[in-house]
Amino acid sequence: MKILVCVKQVPDMESRFQVQAGGTAIEEADLAFRVNEYDEFAIEEAVRLKEKLGEGSELTVLSLGPQRVAEAIKKALAMGCDQGIHILDTASRDPYQVASLIYQAVKDQDFEVIFTGMQSQDLGYAQTGLLLAELLGIEAVTTVVSFCQEGDGFLVQRELEGGQRMNLKLQAPALFTCQLGLNQPRYPTLPNIMKAKKKKITQLEAASLAPPAARSQTTSLRPPAKKGQAKFLEGDLGAMADQLVAELKAKSLI
Amino acid sequence: MVMKGSEFLVKEILPSEVFTPEDFSDEQKQIRDTTRDLVDNEILPQVEEIDSPNHQLVVEFLAKAGELGLLMMDPKEEDGGLGLDKSTVMLVAEEIAHTGSFSVAFAAHTGIGTLPLVYYGSQTLKDKYLEKIITGQWGAAFCLTEPNAGSDAMTVDTQATTEGDHYLLNGTKQFITNGGFAKLFTVFARLDKEHFTAFMVEKDFVGVSIGPEENKMGIKGSSTTQVIFDQVKVPKENLLGEIGKGHHIAFNVLNIGRIKLGAAVNGAAKEVLKTSVAYAKERKQFQHPISDFGAIQEKIADRTAQLFAAESLIYRITGDLDIALAEVPQDENYYKNYTKIIADYNGECAIAKVYCSEQLAAMVDEGLQIYGGYGFIKDYPAERFYRDERINRLFEGTNEINRLLLPDAILKKSLKGELPLQSLAMKAFEGLVNPSFDLPEETLFAKEFQVVKNTKQIFLVLAGAAVQKFQMALAKEQEVLMAVADVAIYIYALESALLRAAKHYNQASDKRKKLLAALVKVSTFNNLEALAQAAKKGAFYIEEGDNLTLLLSGIRRYGKYDASGLLQAKRTLAQSVIEQGKYPL
Ligand SMILES: Cc1cc2nc3c(=O)[nH]c(=O)nc-3n(C[C@H](O)[C@H](O)[C@H](O)COP(=O)(O)OP(=O)(O)OC[C@H]3O[C@@H](n4cnc5c(N)ncnc54)[C@H](O)[C@@H]3O)c2cc1C
Repeated sequence: MKILVCVKQVPDMESRFQVQAGGTAIEEADLAFRVNEYDEFAIEEAVRLKEKLGEGSELTVLSLGPQRVAEAIKKALAMGCDQGIHILDTASRDPYQVASLIYQAVKDQDFEVIFTGMQSQDLGYAQTGLLLAELLGIEAVTTVVSFCQEGDGFLVQRELEGGQRMNLKLQAPALFTCQLGLNQPRYPTLPNIMKAKKKKITQLEAASLAPPAARSQTTSLRPPAKKGQAKFLEGDLGAMADQLVAELKAKSLI
Repeated sequence: MVMKGSEFLVKEILPSEVFTPEDFSDEQKQIRDTTRDLVDNEILPQVEEIDSPNHQLVVEFLAKAGELGLLMMDPKEEDGGLGLDKSTVMLVAEEIAHTGSFSVAFAAHTGIGTLPLVYYGSQTLKDKYLEKIITGQWGAAFCLTEPNAGSDAMTVDTQATTEGDHYLLNGTKQFITNGGFAKLFTVFARLDKEHFTAFMVEKDFVGVSIGPEENKMGIKGSSTTQVIFDQVKVPKENLLGEIGKGHHIAFNVLNIGRIKLGAAVNGAAKEVLKTSVAYAKERKQFQHPISDFGAIQEKIADRTAQLFAAESLIYRITGDLDIALAEVPQDENYYKNYTKIIADYNGECAIAKVYCSEQLAAMVDEGLQIYGGYGFIKDYPAERFYRDERINRLFEGTNEINRLLLPDAILKKSLKGELPLQSLAMKAFEGLVNPSFDLPEETLFAKEFQVVKNTKQIFLVLAGAAVQKFQMALAKEQEVLMAVADVAIYIYALESALLRAAKHYNQASDKRKKLLAALVKVSTFNNLEALAQAAKKGAFYIEEGDNLTLLLSGIRRYGKYDASGLLQAKRTLAQSVIEQGKYPL
């Protein structure tokens, strides 16, 4: 079985973010980057599937972005992917462009299962995976919290609003977007990190994949205005509870 | 070009020629991240439990570290290890250091516990033990110290005698880290009353017993016990290295241990800084977070600048070592030549140990001060940091022993003709009588590069005067040696910080440039002040009359630094740490 996992490198969420001079992008100069957390669930699930299938299955990791995203690809290789595809791209893209570029890179490779994160931690569109499935003309299942392969099909569970779960059964080829709770991603071991050095990463230029025009544009980006400060209640438990009720009543919230 | 050991005192080097933390490869960063994940997600939540003390937990985490490959970094691939370079080993040590007691157990296991076998073990011994050690199945420990042999480690009372097909071992070892759970001990003893020799001893050999746990001030979760050998039969094949060459093993393993201790305390310092700054941002007095106050900011700035120098010097040493070690031919003499190179850098190893451990000492002290009265209360982390720090100035050779070792290493090299100290000292003296005043060029950090050059002149005249005055009796003049050592230590520190900043300045963002410039200014000023004080003290110890006047005027002239903008630099530095809530690099 040919498996693909798509990952994005995002800024470390503990960073202090600043908006670039143009007002439409984040200043990247001194940021540290890491693999999008949801994509780590995707990598882990893909690796587990590959390990379960054993001989004859092949797992490819793909990432799009500037030179630095090679680091994210290498992490996925160290976690157990067999090879990498790096679409070199320095432009900022909307989800449709990203999905189109990935589609161009993989459309002839007959991947039967594709994993992506549910969304990226930085931009949070939650669209790229779905758009890619649409372009490939394959099934897509979002917010996957449980995944099981059986024969040539899959049993999956999706997370719905209000903590509800939905069970699905479907056939390959299909794409799954992975949600928190799906699994506990492994730490790449040192021997695997060193072995991953020898795995192949194919580089493609985004320009050579004919990116379409963007369908949306960022018009401005700014930090949210500071709202009123949080209030800390003090005193013993009973007094704090009374105070809380009084506050909520005063604000007509109850 | 790689600098050989102690050559920094007599040579200039370009920024592009030093290795720095900014140069880590993707693999090195991944290894750091794996370590960080293990530490943050699994070990840190259990730090209190480990300190309770719970040695079983330490054993379990060692095994877990083993599963991830963290115990197999040093051995070569054909020995079942990963053969990673020293910079990577240091990077891991830094991350593990956040765990306090566990870090000490880890360092003892992977360093002094494992390296004797890796560097000196026969194939038979490696086949017998290495896999067990690098998977964490067996704990490892290093038994050098005895009740009557501490700093004077070569005077051990433990005796080995040849008895037919084995040796018989008798003696008591003191303060053995991991003693409570280790299964394999590297034990130093006198063989047949004469030859200082190392042996590998299994805990399960008949006659090995373990003393009670010491009740320690800090690192309470690490095991420290006596290990007692009573008529223990040791197979002949368990003699490690060569008869009578035990001191080579001890010294070389300790050399690496000293750099590693340096890396570890730097990692610990980052944790202390982070916690204290977080507290300073939270704690309000006089309607302000105390991080707004200049007195607090100055502490943050000074400590950060020293940490920057400490970190820079560690990776500068390992960068040099890694290049030199990579060139060692892979033949049957591999480890012989390898350990020769390590021995060549023994001066730098001592510098790393002393400078970095004293850096952490200042950090925990000021860190606790930032907590005010709460720092004195056990519920806050500053108290543990303060207790845990103290051991670092004691073990792996006390800081006194390391300071004494440094001038000794330098002078020996000079006597062997490996360092042109004498001719350069003569020139430096001439320079004192007929000073020339080159104006520094207008290049990046020109003033600071001039300071580095000048401080090397200070070293030459001071060490030169000491040798001339005391000759062979200099070894007995410890106060003078300590002063000379301090001058060398501060030179290496301020130069390493400067080289690192200069290496990356041009590619840095504007914000990062300001930060680097501030780090250079504060580091240069503080290290130079400390250096000048040591040099002055040394001058008074060595000389009198006209010679003293000349020496002092030289120190004064060479010790000049126009640090205009120092206050602004400290504020910039502190702001950056406060803004990011951590060490800002
Ligand atoms: C928690 C802990 C863990 C340890 N782990 C290990 C271990 O795993 N394996 C091991 O072998 N050892 C270990 N040690 C021992 C440690 O290395 C020694 O304690 C240390 O080397 C100092 O020896 P000492 O305690 O006998 O002090 P001493 O040698 O008695 O020193 C006392 C003081 O005198 C000074 N001094 C001594 N000689 C001189 C001199 N010639 N000139 C000037 N000053 C001098 C010292 O600097 C010190 O200030 C450990 C110790 C501790 C506390």
